[in-house]
Amino acid sequence: MTQTPAPRTQGLGFLTILHEDNGYMGGYLVTNFWSRPVEFRLSTAVQPNRIHQILYGGTLQSYICADLIGKTLIEKTTAAVQAIFTDCESVLDLRLQLDVPVVCLPSDGSTAPASSSDPAASRKWPLRCHSRFPGDVAAVQAMLDGVDGSLDLAEPFVRIREAMSEARKLGAMSRN
Amino acid sequence: MSQDKHLPAPDVAELDLTLSVEAYLPQRWDRATQVGIRPTRLLTERPWVRSLGRLDMHVKTEGWRFPTPPSDEPASRQGDSGQQGQETRAERCEGESCGLSPPLPLSPSPYLSAVNLRLRPTKDTVVLKERLLYLLQPPLESCLASKQVRLPLRPYPYQMEGIAFLMPRHAALLADEMGLGKTAQAVLALRLLFHAGLVRRSLIVCPKPLVSNWARELRLWADDLPFEVVGGDAQERSSCWLVSNCPLKLVNYELLTRDAALLADERIAFDVVILDEAQRIKNRDAKTAQVVRGIRRERSWALTGTPIENKPEDLVNLFAFVDPGRIPPDTPAKRLPHLTGDCILRRTKDDVLTDLPAKTIRDAYLELTPAQRQSYALAENEGVVHLNSLGETITIQHVFELVMRLKQICNFDPLTGHSAKLERLLADLTEIAESGRKALVFSQWVQPLEILAGALEPFGPLQFHGRIPDRERQTVLERFRSDSSKHVLLMSYGAGSVGLNLQFTNYVFLFDRWWNPAVEDQAINRAHRIGQRQPVFVTRFVTQETIEGRIAEVLDRKRQLFNELLEQNSPPPSLGLTEEEIFGLFDLQVRPKRCAA
Repeated sequence: MTQTPAPRTQGLGFLTILHEDNGYMGGYLVTNFWSRPVEFRLSTAVQPNRIHQILYGGTLQSYICADLIGKTLIEKTTAAVQAIFTDCESVLDLRLQLDVPVVCLPSDGSTAPASSSDPAASRKWPLRCHSRFPGDVAAVQAMLDGVDGSLDLAEPFVRIREAMSEARKLGAMSRN
Repeated sequence: MSQDKHLPAPDVAELDLTLSVEAYLPQRWDRATQVGIRPTRLLTERPWVRSLGRLDMHVKTEGWRFPTPPSDEPASRQGDSGQQGQETRAERCEGESCGLSPPLPLSPSPYLSAVNLRLRPTKDTVVLKERLLYLLQPPLESCLASKQVRLPLRPYPYQMEGIAFLMPRHAALLADEMGLGKTAQAVLALRLLFHAGLVRRSLIVCPKPLVSNWARELRLWADDLPFEVVGGDAQERSSCWLVSNCPLKLVNYELLTRDAALLADERIAFDVVILDEAQRIKNRDAKTAQVVRGIRRERSWALTGTPIENKPEDLVNLFAFVDPGRIPPDTPAKRLPHLTGDCILRRTKDDVLTDLPAKTIRDAYLELTPAQRQSYALAENEGVVHLNSLGETITIQHVFELVMRLKQICNFDPLTGHSAKLERLLADLTEIAESGRKALVFSQWVQPLEILAGALEPFGPLQFHGRIPDRERQTVLERFRSDSSKHVLLMSYGAGSVGLNLQFTNYVFLFDRWWNPAVEDQAINRAHRIGQRQPVFVTRFVTQETIEGRIAEVLDRKRQLFNELLEQNSPPPSLGLTEEEIFGLFDLQVRPKRCAA
């Protein structure tokens, strides 16, 4: 049914971490290359206490976002991805534990590529990657070149946040 | 110095400066000295530790896997079904002329690029996974802008809203006014559901004359969606229902009813069933309605511009398909809007097509020719006398026969063939033809259309009604569209009032009036619909001081009530003429003992 060949069987992962009063909560959406949802997973809230803050110091946020929530979400998700996008800088450390590129988008969307008549230009997102994997951005950009140019990398995060809000309203993750 | 000698001598006091010392014996001094012993731990033991609680943090997750979009499925599986479907379509649709109407123009309206129109789960979607499924779908704009979905035209913003309405609904009634593109909205919604992997088998049921129209719309709006038209002899149809893997089947109501026994097979089930012109099932006990309700399906979508043609029960019976059980038996009419509101979407042209050319409706009040007047007066007098003579045995059918007889005289005098309407029509058509435009003429009978065909010969009349074989109808429409010498199409309300796209015509004549304003609207909207670029002029012929004028008055009142129902959520009125109203057309002295319904 498709006209434009696109990579099959693997998709794109979008991981965000919300930090609210009750702690850190993660949401992970896997889409296909047409941005349609394939799998969605969310985490319980993680609330560090004062001792954690003292003991983990400056590494606390990275530990919670990448090692704890991010890694768990991805390990539990069955759908494979070719790259993981996040709007949370602290998640980049996740790359240390994965073999797929992890890149970060600006969370405010202010630097999203403006719509342009040049399709190539429209795909140049201002991505950042882990300092130990400087090639990730280029790899992801190369992959995006083969994907639909209309793909908006920032938009799925809106969906994730809305879905997390919906899940919380309906009591998901508080049932166990 | 002399004064100092007189001062008194100072007083002298003696102070005791001796210190007394006392010695006391301490209280415990007399006790013997004791030695205490206290054990002390050596550093060879582990130090005491205070716990600060658990420092490891735990996280749990919950996840949902959604249906796999077909584009992500293994190539072999996808290719198999797709190939099969394409071949079937080619075979079935070969020879059909689908150029029924010109391509719709690009909408001048903005393409909602600035607004992210998202799918929303319905109020009665309670399962979290289903709610998340729709919340996590990408915005419609990005779906339709992607390379995966190539569109020949930009949908209007209200059509995007219609698609967003349909997609998450398992029970939906799209009741847009005629001409707003319900077909396109349904096709696009269906296509996106296929792409999302939420639908794999679907069925579209439509009136027979509209099958080719649907085929054309499917090619236009969903060129990647294989479909097949159910047809042929019983064996072919059986194969189509039971063997074919084509994901989308298109069938007309008549064949569907004929294949009722086949449809009882448990292997036949659909993710979506779409009923076009769904008012066809307004009679709950009709075979068609029963067969349609019996189809195994997950989603039920009904499309109609006239969800209520005559009475509130029409809507109730529609919902017997759309969502069985939503309307409990004996529900008062005033409760219907509350019960059905979330499942119905209705927009009018006035609401959404502010840039659609104007539609001007004018009533042409005509004097009967002398010959017609004479015949009319005779027939009415004799008819009323006859009705009165029936006494209490009179039925509504008796009155009905007289009404029909009089209406026919209003069209043509039975003796001379004179017609005030024809005279006026000839004058108007002359002007229309000279300006190179085209007109539709509607009548409820075939006979007047055939007479008109002869009288309007200079204007190249074509006919489209029940006596025109189905196989020729498409050719008639195509000729009317493409042949510049064909200025007028003579149509019966029954054959030409629904589903056809004739927006290249600008004039509509209602040679005689139908009983129901909704049907008249359907006819008028063949021309006044999306794609129309010129104003549409509708002329309704009404002969003065006749039964037509009296009927027109009643219908106008009905039309007003209809608008109130769907626009203001007031209780549904009855749109057709009631028994009382039909009797009221004549000044009868008698009334039946018990009127037929």
